[in-house]
Amino acid sequence: MLLWVVLGAHLAGIGLIMFAGGTQRRLDARAVFVVAALPALFATGASIRGLSQDTATTSRVAWVEGLDLVLALRLDALSALLGLIVAGIGVLVFVYSAGYFTESSAGLARFAATLSGFSASMIGLVWSDSIWTLFVFWELTSITSFLLVGHKHVDEAVQRSARRALLITASGGLALLAGLLLIADGDTGIALRDLEPTTGTAATVAAALVLIAAATKSAQIPFHVWLPGAMAAPTPVSAYLHSATMVKAGVIAVALFGPIFKDTDVWQPLGIAFGLGSMIWGAIGALRHVDAKLILAWGTISQLGLMIAVLATGSAKATFAGISILVAHAIFKAALFMVVGEIDVRTGTRDVRKLGGLRTSMPVAFWVCVVSGASMAGIPPLLGFPAKEAALEAALGVDGWQRVVLLVGVVGGSVLTVAYTTRFVLTVFGPSDSGEVTDVAPRRLPITAVTTLLAAASIVGFVALDWVGDGVRSAAVLLNPGSEVYSLIRWPGLKTAFVLSMVIIAAGIPLGWFLSRRTDDIPRPLGADGADRLVDEVLSGARRITGRVQHGSLPVYLMTAVVVASAASVPFIAAIDVDALRWTDGAVVPALGVLIVAGAIGTVRIPGRLGAALGLGSVGFGMAGVFVAQGAPDLALTQLLVETVVVVAFVIGLGRLSANFPPVGYVWRTLRMVVATGLGAAVSIGLAGAASKPSGSAPVSDFVDEAAATGGGNNVVNVILTDVRALDTFGEVVVLVAVAVGIVALAQSGRAGAGDDTDLDPEGADPEGTPARSVDEVAS
Amino acid sequence: MIADRSIVVQDGIRLASPLAIIVATMLFFGGHNQPGGGFAGGLVLGAVVALRSATGLSVPLHPVRMMALGGVIIGGVALGPLVVGDVVLDQYIWETTLPVLGKVKAGTALIFDAGVVLVVLGLIVAMLDALAQGGEHRTTLRLDAEGDREADQ
Repeated sequence: MLLWVVLGAHLAGIGLIMFAGGTQRRLDARAVFVVAALPALFATGASIRGLSQDTATTSRVAWVEGLDLVLALRLDALSALLGLIVAGIGVLVFVYSAGYFTESSAGLARFAATLSGFSASMIGLVWSDSIWTLFVFWELTSITSFLLVGHKHVDEAVQRSARRALLITASGGLALLAGLLLIADGDTGIALRDLEPTTGTAATVAAALVLIAAATKSAQIPFHVWLPGAMAAPTPVSAYLHSATMVKAGVIAVALFGPIFKDTDVWQPLGIAFGLGSMIWGAIGALRHVDAKLILAWGTISQLGLMIAVLATGSAKATFAGISILVAHAIFKAALFMVVGEIDVRTGTRDVRKLGGLRTSMPVAFWVCVVSGASMAGIPPLLGFPAKEAALEAALGVDGWQRVVLLVGVVGGSVLTVAYTTRFVLTVFGPSDSGEVTDVAPRRLPITAVTTLLAAASIVGFVALDWVGDGVRSAAVLLNPGSEVYSLIRWPGLKTAFVLSMVIIAAGIPLGWFLSRRTDDIPRPLGADGADRLVDEVLSGARRITGRVQHGSLPVYLMTAVVVASAASVPFIAAIDVDALRWTDGAVVPALGVLIVAGAIGTVRIPGRLGAALGLGSVGFGMAGVFVAQGAPDLALTQLLVETVVVVAFVIGLGRLSANFPPVGYVWRTLRMVVATGLGAAVSIGLAGAASKPSGSAPVSDFVDEAAATGGGNNVVNVILTDVRALDTFGEVVVLVAVAVGIVALAQSGRAGAGDDTDLDPEGADPEGTPARSVDEVAS
Repeated sequence: MIADRSIVVQDGIRLASPLAIIVATMLFFGGHNQPGGGFAGGLVLGAVVALRSATGLSVPLHPVRMMALGGVIIGGVALGPLVVGDVVLDQYIWETTLPVLGKVKAGTALIFDAGVVLVVLGLIVAMLDALAQGGEHRTTLRLDAEGDREADQ
């Protein structure tokens, strides 16, 4: 229950912000962040309470009964630890936001509400206890992060970045859905902690799909292209989404589903490939960029790669190490992002080539950066060091080819990590290229307080390492019971892992120092360009197809519809039973038939439009006669009235047209004859087919009795229409309205060209009137 | 247009209008026991209304509004029974004795049928208006539609 109250508190906070945020003028606009921080504080408290409890708290609400859909939340050691990271950093981010934005910043209420919505989604994700609950919150984080990345929505570059992020993460969401459907189909159940390990083809495909979903969310190559673009978001978003939370969702998914999929053929190789590839490529990216925020974004790709590679390995030690890095990374990366945001708002630039003299002008930021950066690089005595040690131990602990690949990847990636961290600190706080000293605006208290707190957390985490280790262990045990025996070690002694750590640091710092001297050209974002081009091509392709299909030529539309309808009658040929057909009922119907056929022949032979209209009328009145002869007065009446309306339509419409039909080319005329004959044959086939199969005795007498009894009328047809089958009539009315809208639109647009019904050429139609054109206008 | 130029046609339409309304009313009310009903009544009314507006005898009605009103009436009859706990589209019948007409029986099906009349009427008027205006006076219909929207807001 408590868990739902926490999520409900977020919703209430969002409501309050949206309701009061726009109108409240007496308070500082930044008060919205106080409101937004309260639910996050509540969630932090709930998570801490969950950490201190031995038993899990669960809550299930039936969503769709019978479909096995439940909304299930669970607070145990693992979800409490993740919830503490998400909600705790959330509180800090809201405080930071109050310092980052000024009172005059636009859309603060919208921002705070969306960020709070994201926070709730992420808390729901880490607390969820059913794969469907997980999926719903997973998608919610995609949507809210799209809104947050696109916060400055008037900027076109921001629009593209937000769209790119949404397309990639939402495609991953679809992959996740497909993967979950595959495993939910089996006997594994849907409760996340009770899923059974599976193998086989379906499980292998599901494993690959879940890994792809995780890779899109956690920005692993080749899906990483959205993350650098997402830096267009305000820095509080980057510090929250792109350090502690949303990008961690993929890592969490790998951790949660690892126990199920670790026996499949694809899980380990693919996971390690995604992870190590991203770790190396992300670190290289971080070494090439000069925008401080982009350096951190690429560094995040690299760090996430390390976590995914380690967790995908799946051994007890690796699971323990993966969770340790996840905790350490959330703390130091949030601090680093926040410092970059502080530099941005206090100096007006994030270009490391222009920043100079910040070491003396921003001492707090400098020391926060040094401490957090050292934690990221795995330098003692900081929390990042034992976490990195654990990862090296895990890599040393596995057997076979994984050992070599993991060791090379992790050591190589770590050297690069140390290098880009060194370069980051040196270039941001060292002298600028031109030697100038950057002007710095006054310090903002909320920013300084929050960043100092996070830097201190990296130190305190190392001092109180047993406490952190206990939290990580009890979380890791839920994923892999073998993690029971591991703990984070402050001073490991001169073991292999420690020697490797020292080698990594010794190699990385000179490399970073050397690279900080180089100012290469900034690499073009080829991947992001490619993703954008893909989207553009799809859109322009859709426009081209629409232009071809919706060409605006009424005759071609009509012929397409007629040909399709005719083709649909082909199966009915088999249903025709010649023996069951009666050829006539008396002499009246054949006589009327002669009249109808004569009228039809006249209609197509007469050159004048008025004569053709009269011929058409004789066909219609002949049909009405047939209905009368067959004892269907309602049909006859309706037919007569429809004919009357058609006559009125001719009266209104004929005056606008020429007296005779325009001359028609041979090919077009032949085509029309073929299509018209085809439709006639199709209707005949359909009727003959229906008449061949008398479906027992007609239920006429039942309807007559029922009509009088319940419908209160003697006209069976009308009672059926308005009472017995009124729902059908209701549907038909809706169809009528849709038809009316279509006809009005067609009459307004399709006739705008030459007004000539022989016009086959799509280009000849008035471009302004064709739907294809309007699609174009909407898109452009 | 033929009707614009011919005084015979114009007078014919003028004289036929009340007759058509009577016929439509008869079809509508008689429909429950005799051939006819909402659809037939709507057709007759629609043809006359469209002719009158095309010849300039009366101002064009708002077909979109009529269809919308008809849809609302039908929806109301359909969903109304739910409020008192019956099934969708359940029918209620009342019988009473009126002067002149004698014993009269009516049900919610009649209201439903009235909605059908409005929808069919709107459909015919919209179609024939569109035919009459074609490409030339495109803007008038479009303005009408916009007027409809403004009025609805």
